[in-house]
Amino acid sequence: MKYLDKSIIEINKLLKEKKIKPIDLVEEAYENIESSDLNAYITLTKEEAYQKAKELEDKEVDSLLFGLPIAVKDNICTKGVLTTCASHMLDNFVPIYDATVVEKINNANMIIIGKTNMDEFAMGSSSRTSYFGAPHNPWDTNKISGGSSGGSASTIAARDVLFALGSDTGGSIRQPASYTGIVGMKPTYGRVSRYGLIAFASSLDQIGPMTKNVYENALLLNVISGHDDKDLTSANKEEDFTRLIGKDVKGMKIAIPNFFVSDIVDKEIIAKLKETVKVLEKLGATVDYVDMKYLDNAVTLYQIIAMGEASSNLARFDGIRYGHSKENPEDIKDVYFGTRAEGFGKEVKRRIMVGSYLLSGENAREYFYKALSIRDDMKQEFTNIFKDYDFVIGPTTTTTAYLLTDPMDDPSKSFMDDVLVIPVNMAGIPGLNMPIGFDKNHMPIGMQIIANSFEEAKIYQLASALEKELNLELNPNAGGDNND
Amino acid sequence: MTNYIATIGVEVHVELKTKTKIFSNSKNGYGQMANSLTNVIDLGYPGTLPTLNEEVLNLAIKAATVLNCKIRKEMHFDRKNYFYPDNPKNYQITQFATPIGYDGYVEIDVDGKKKKIYIEEMHIEEDTCKSTHRGEKTLLDFNRAGVPLIEIVTKPCMSTPEEAKKYLEKLRELLLYSDISDCKMEEGSMRADANVSIRKKESDPFNTKAEIKNIGSISNVGLSIEKEIERQAKIYDAGETFKPQTRRFDDKLQDTVLMRVKETGNDYRYFPEPDIPFVIVTDERIEKVKKEIPMLPDERRLKYQELGIAEVNANKIVLNRSISDYLNNLLDEKINFKTASNLLLGDIQAYLNKNEKEITDTTLTKERFIDLVNKMDDNTLTSKNLKDILDKVLESDKSISEIMKECNVENITDDKAIKEVIKKIIAENPESVADYKAGHDRAIKYLMGQVMKETKGGVNPKMAMDILTEELN
Amino acid sequence: MKEKLSREEVLHVAELARIAVTEEEIEKYQVELKKLLNDVEKINEVKGYDDEILIAPWSHNTDLREDKEGEMLDPKKVIENAPRHSGNYIQVPVVIGESEGA
Repeated sequence: MKYLDKSIIEINKLLKEKKIKPIDLVEEAYENIESSDLNAYITLTKEEAYQKAKELEDKEVDSLLFGLPIAVKDNICTKGVLTTCASHMLDNFVPIYDATVVEKINNANMIIIGKTNMDEFAMGSSSRTSYFGAPHNPWDTNKISGGSSGGSASTIAARDVLFALGSDTGGSIRQPASYTGIVGMKPTYGRVSRYGLIAFASSLDQIGPMTKNVYENALLLNVISGHDDKDLTSANKEEDFTRLIGKDVKGMKIAIPNFFVSDIVDKEIIAKLKETVKVLEKLGATVDYVDMKYLDNAVTLYQIIAMGEASSNLARFDGIRYGHSKENPEDIKDVYFGTRAEGFGKEVKRRIMVGSYLLSGENAREYFYKALSIRDDMKQEFTNIFKDYDFVIGPTTTTTAYLLTDPMDDPSKSFMDDVLVIPVNMAGIPGLNMPIGFDKNHMPIGMQIIANSFEEAKIYQLASALEKELNLELNPNAGGDNND
Repeated sequence: MTNYIATIGVEVHVELKTKTKIFSNSKNGYGQMANSLTNVIDLGYPGTLPTLNEEVLNLAIKAATVLNCKIRKEMHFDRKNYFYPDNPKNYQITQFATPIGYDGYVEIDVDGKKKKIYIEEMHIEEDTCKSTHRGEKTLLDFNRAGVPLIEIVTKPCMSTPEEAKKYLEKLRELLLYSDISDCKMEEGSMRADANVSIRKKESDPFNTKAEIKNIGSISNVGLSIEKEIERQAKIYDAGETFKPQTRRFDDKLQDTVLMRVKETGNDYRYFPEPDIPFVIVTDERIEKVKKEIPMLPDERRLKYQELGIAEVNANKIVLNRSISDYLNNLLDEKINFKTASNLLLGDIQAYLNKNEKEITDTTLTKERFIDLVNKMDDNTLTSKNLKDILDKVLESDKSISEIMKECNVENITDDKAIKEVIKKIIAENPESVADYKAGHDRAIKYLMGQVMKETKGGVNPKMAMDILTEELN
Repeated sequence: MKEKLSREEVLHVAELARIAVTEEEIEKYQVELKKLLNDVEKINEVKGYDDEILIAPWSHNTDLREDKEGEMLDPKKVIENAPRHSGNYIQVPVVIGESEGA
């Protein structure tokens, strides 16, 4: 079988000619998931998926994504289907409404096959804070697949399915994409509706597509983007994100901030980036090394803003209206304190406590508002750089994926893993990870391409040109033979 | 009272009269089945986001206008974070840094003098859910969660309970008349808190203040402030002090009781709401809203007096919005407004109260009312007869004359018929006639009374008097 | 810089966050929370920025919603996910004292 290894054009042709049915793809996806055994999913939605596949049999195959299975990160609400945020707090929570992106996926006749594993409430960088245990990296199952969208990254890298949704608050799509050798896009803030995405940090969160290649990534962004009346921050912009794919990148101007190639990044990764720069130059782009202010402050700003907002966003989990609740509480105080002590994991509790503290009394001025001020200047710094350059690029991560057994006792570690990806969330601009090669242990190395707000199509243009030129074997199951 | 000077500030929460809630499109309603007016947004479900109701913005602009506030053109919302079962998200969306209105005032009359009560700021926020305590448990009804509110905060510029009451009455009247809120304190659509502190002299620094929360009626606001001033005075007179505190008015005790002593400042962890971008208030919107503001109470009272209505009646009319609106519809007519106001405040209001109706629920069209006023005015219809036919006037569509005919209350307008009656009375009362001729004025009144008695009031008194005088001479 | 928060400081932030903490946890938080608080101190090293704040990278101002009623939930749905309920009401142990808010 293995239809899902074929190109999307070929699969579409087979569906159109009725040589295969959507149900065949669903069946194959579940076989893949069960055999790869990566703990990439919290919930498989077999019953719903088979039913949807059946329904689609009578429908006309009207788009490239018709009938294709998709995995959805478990912090995106699905009506009637468990949505846990990888937390004990919500391990019994069945939403009574669909997120806007889920409605869009359903309307596009795609088939949701399950809800993917992640860091609890998307807080973490290795998906090890999940209440359900961490997902594994298909390139080396002893290693992390990154986080927080680790399950989505893992299942795409393993070629279980072609499409997955992640969410990115401080790198949570791009960093796991980098660790697992896939393509992950964090779109412009406002590009994709956040309605139904369980909020971590509202001013930073954004849903985005995770796929094995650039073209499929752009196709999925076409489906999930667009204005939503239910989200006041969603932008009123429509476009075809594939439209510049295949176009020449000659003359494009690229900047690499010196901070992105400083000694915080592994030498092997810098070396791979420099090789890639040569390829870009060969394609006709120019690359300059530049100084950018505030990049080195991004993690500090992120800690303050993300933890502050999270402490407020997660206040609603109180055991009263839904979710976990302490049994036989002594009084109302016990409902709050007991429920939240039992329901949240360590990382989440730490962040809520620190976030509450940073907003309390005088601290709001000392930390939170100061962070918002610097954030404004940081965004300005990006606006300025894009007056002279089409893109900013750099490594996505400072190292390749590390061991699942590495220590977790340093509370700052999970933030430092995202040091290179956080500035993009701060500025609200789009950023994409794409694989550019492997380290000496054959673990994927990723590069991020950053552009100005609403320039995702241009990012796809550069990424696809580079993807074609690099022509990497990115299937961890391939075992050497290149059949592309 | 006491030898202290009181300093009083008042905070009022008012529910806005919109169709839907502030941040969701579920219905803004009162008195319906528990939890029947909610959706996932009102319940604070994970992943939900707020949207902003346009009408809330319009009503807030209207309120800012009638309260003479400056209007902020660019504003955002803030989150006020506190855990409480009536607070679904455990944060309330409000305006902390950029209230929509600021620096306003309301004018009240104190002992015949005008006084301005200054408004510090007014802002938009969402209401909480309603909790009911039942023994060991508290029951939550989210119908009220997300109902739009404006909070109006005065400067600490009042010094007597009377001023606070007058301010609230004025505020209520303004909000009612501009259709911003129905201001029913008994249903909680208007709620008042008062801050009270006292000191010996104007030159003394302010003393500790107590906040009296959620007072259920305007008269209780006056009473509770009075009691609170007395309580604080007693403490100071005894050489003691007290801590800043929150109190409530207890209806049974008719006094304020302690709720809690305030901790070192409430820690609401305010920060700007990221889910709602800047809200821009355009000049076009402000102009459009201003045009919708009807004639306000003060202007109405003046206008009514100009038209000859007594001050006391002008005030009474304004107390009843629908009667006042009814009268405003007649302002350009050439009628006797004194008669009109007596009619509206007298028999008509009595009928409306008895039948629990608004004047707009009756059949009294503008044209029929004008006819009625004119008939009363020229005595074609006497007040006694009006009482007999009032139900029909207000419940049927027939003309006033037709009703009068049907009910046999037509005045005898025929000269001959009246003359006959008068001749009969003169013949029967020779003594009175003699008295009259001797110059006793009282006699003609007696004779007139006899005429009315004979005709059961069914005669135009003016006409009868003319004929009587003629016949006597 | 201090390496540990005091017990009282930990209890204070736990109170703000409404999270019960055990004795064992307090000891761990004294160190872990302090580490994060030391991290954020770095904000004081940043210089040269202006006062203008960025609340969120919004791309436009707020669109207003028409005041028109939409679908509402059946009360049965409202209580379905609630751990404790009674009739149509969501239930909690009795709450003493009045709301802090509106």
